[in-house]
Amino acid sequence: MDWTALWLSLRLAGWTVVFLLPVAVIAGRALAYRRFPAKGLVEALVMLPLVLPPTVFGFYLLVAFGGNSPVGDLWQRLFGHQLVFSFEGLVMASVIFNLPFAIQPAQRGFEAVPVEVREAAATCGMSPARSLWRVELPLAWPGVMTAMVLTFAHTLGEFGIVLMVGGSIPGETRTIAIAIYDRVQAFDMQGAATMSAVLVGISLVTIALTYWLSARVGRRLS
Amino acid sequence: MALEVRLRARGPIPLDVAFRAEAGEVLALVGPSGAGKTTVLRSIAGFWHPEAAWIAVNGTTWLDTEARVNRPAHRRRLGVVFQAYALFPHMSAVHNVMAAMECADAAEARRLLHLVNLHGLETRRPAQLSGGQQQRVALARALARRPQALLLDEPFSAVDRATRERLQEEVSALRAHLDMPVVLVTHDMAEAQLLADRMVVIVAGHMVAEGPTAAVMADPAALRAMGIRELAAMLPATIAEQDADGLTRLDGPAGPLFLPGLSDPPGTRVRMRIPAQDVILSRQRPEGLSAQNIVPGRVLRSVSGTGPGVLVHIDVAGHEIVARITRRAALQMDLRPGDLVHAILKSMSVARGQVIRAPDGDDD
Amino acid sequence: MPSFLSRRGVGAALAAGLVALCPLRLSADSEAPLIAAASDLQFAVTEVAEAFTAETGQAVRLSFGSTGNFARQIREGAPFEVFMAADEAFIADLHADGFTEGAGDLYALGRIAIVTPEGAALTPDANLDALEAMLAAGEITRFAIANPEHAPYGMRAREALISRGLWDDLQPVMVLGENVSQAAQFALSGNAAGGIIAYSLALAPEVAARGTHALIPEDWHEPLRQRMVLLNGAGPGAEAFYAYIQTPEARAIMARHGFSLPGDE
Repeated sequence: MDWTALWLSLRLAGWTVVFLLPVAVIAGRALAYRRFPAKGLVEALVMLPLVLPPTVFGFYLLVAFGGNSPVGDLWQRLFGHQLVFSFEGLVMASVIFNLPFAIQPAQRGFEAVPVEVREAAATCGMSPARSLWRVELPLAWPGVMTAMVLTFAHTLGEFGIVLMVGGSIPGETRTIAIAIYDRVQAFDMQGAATMSAVLVGISLVTIALTYWLSARVGRRLS
Repeated sequence: MALEVRLRARGPIPLDVAFRAEAGEVLALVGPSGAGKTTVLRSIAGFWHPEAAWIAVNGTTWLDTEARVNRPAHRRRLGVVFQAYALFPHMSAVHNVMAAMECADAAEARRLLHLVNLHGLETRRPAQLSGGQQQRVALARALARRPQALLLDEPFSAVDRATRERLQEEVSALRAHLDMPVVLVTHDMAEAQLLADRMVVIVAGHMVAEGPTAAVMADPAALRAMGIRELAAMLPATIAEQDADGLTRLDGPAGPLFLPGLSDPPGTRVRMRIPAQDVILSRQRPEGLSAQNIVPGRVLRSVSGTGPGVLVHIDVAGHEIVARITRRAALQMDLRPGDLVHAILKSMSVARGQVIRAPDGDDD
Repeated sequence: MPSFLSRRGVGAALAAGLVALCPLRLSADSEAPLIAAASDLQFAVTEVAEAFTAETGQAVRLSFGSTGNFARQIREGAPFEVFMAADEAFIADLHADGFTEGAGDLYALGRIAIVTPEGAALTPDANLDALEAMLAAGEITRFAIANPEHAPYGMRAREALISRGLWDDLQPVMVLGENVSQAAQFALSGNAAGGIIAYSLALAPEVAARGTHALIPEDWHEPLRQRMVLLNGAGPGAEAFYAYIQTPEARAIMARHGFSLPGDE
């Protein structure tokens, strides 16, 4: 059982959630409330990581952040090491490929807030910020929570992109999913089985949480 | 503290209205569905504005398209009661009311809930309240804002008739506490006539009639827009006594009137709505009729329109009621101005829902 | 309102705790040296590293994979400190392009072996006669080697099959592993007739328990001259490990895993 790898996966998932929470709330809310000409395009772009094969995505991320890119170059100069093959690089890749998991459910959560309720908030004298905090977020919260739980679970299981962008560096980018792959290659089936069971257990818990939370979205408003 | 509104738009919804409501006055916006009444209300609230608009309250301009002034909705001191209540589902009744206050004051919120006759239900969530109760909370919340204008958007259309009548009575009773202009949107002429001091009739975005309620009700153009069936007169009376057989005796302007089951105590002043088509006329005082209310009066004038009906306006001790009879009947009776005539009213047709307590200061 | 806030409060506290507990960047200085090793070294170098740690108390981090893949990652800036390749050419290229400290050292000579899973129809023999026969009879479902594009053991397997004249006939049933470990996985999975993998892997107990093997003649392919090198920025820990690999103790371990040692030919 590679506890370092598990801890790495949990940290990666945790930081992804921390960065994507404000994005989910702001983008989800904007997409839920506004209608603008490019809205369809924006929604399609948000969904893109879901339909692209992880290797394609990983390839483009390498091109964008790799050692030969402006971003990678800048990072190297600022921090003395490469962005790819580092934990920070994984977080960055993770934030990007989890966008659909974070924004979509949050958007549904905000869409479920009736227009009259938002208008009522305005007529009660609440500014948009106050309305968000006191009316919209309490009502959309289960959607936002679903988004965070899905993001967390998805990050735990991600393999292709993590391998391409991070390599399999123990203690740095060898997440539990990669570690399982590594154990199989080393013919250590016992180790692979143990870690797989742990990962399945965590995933089941997160799925159960998601179902429970989405049931609450309806009950909140009824 | 007056509310002044001027709105003009060519499309997509054509609009051309202008009106003014004084403090303490109830102004009803009436018209058929789709006429644009709710659009006008939403403009006042700040959710939409047409190409040319001017809205001012108490001298402060909220919206002026020419001067590019547009106060956002949350900075307009308004109370709005939505058709679908729009209560915050995750808050209790008292918290809903407190949400509209700048400094949340639970005691004041409870006082307002008391005012709208919501007792003991303060901690309930909207899902645990009936439609009528939710509407009361919505009203209390609108008042909690200490608004400079109160907007009611078809507030009683989503409840059943019994609740609607009760709510209408309560709103009428509340008027003593409302020192701001009140704009009421409704498609129900009866409701407008019962509650409003002024009326604006809107058809397809245009004002067809505008003025005090009695004048608008007598306006043929308004009646054409709203339908002749809506024509009715309001007659004041005072409750005298509850009779043992379920009828209430009232002292009307020209004698006693009998109506079923009014529960208010003797001495209460009320106004009765008498639909024109429910009035039968007779030259002699009839005998042996089931109708209990026979009101003597003098013919003022007869007005015939394009249809088969004739409207006969009758003066009853200084008040006016209208009777709608067939042209043939009018010819047969040969009524002339000044003739003595008896108006016969079925007690049961002037029943609950057509009687409202008169606002204070309503002197006959 | 209060009930919502207290729920949010708990959530916020949890989030803050999560964030506080995990620094975004662990201090790199205290990290053990990072070694990139070709997949054929899976068992050999693991044991060498254990011996190294037992002797010096210094831990190392091992990463196994295809030589070609590591070379690409090193060019992209992967933070490896020692690269133990299964080949010389990749090291020479990296050295020529300035990624290494020096030209490196030959540390082992590898061999390839044919391997078949337990209970398989195909029996491994050094001359690959059985393979030829079954192939002609159309009884070979799948045959696994490492990817010749970037894995040296795959390249040698290809050379051997070409010189034996079986390459073209095996093409339709060929399965390529991303590295020689994965090729071994495929070969022994039971879904393949067998495969050609590293001799060092075939000898390992975990692998030997699942199949039988036979060494393939050396002169059928280019030699597997396995070279290692210190990469730019390698720290003292990496240098110590690099030196240790060339000690008699380490060489003895390598020999036990089927490697011939340079200087012993």
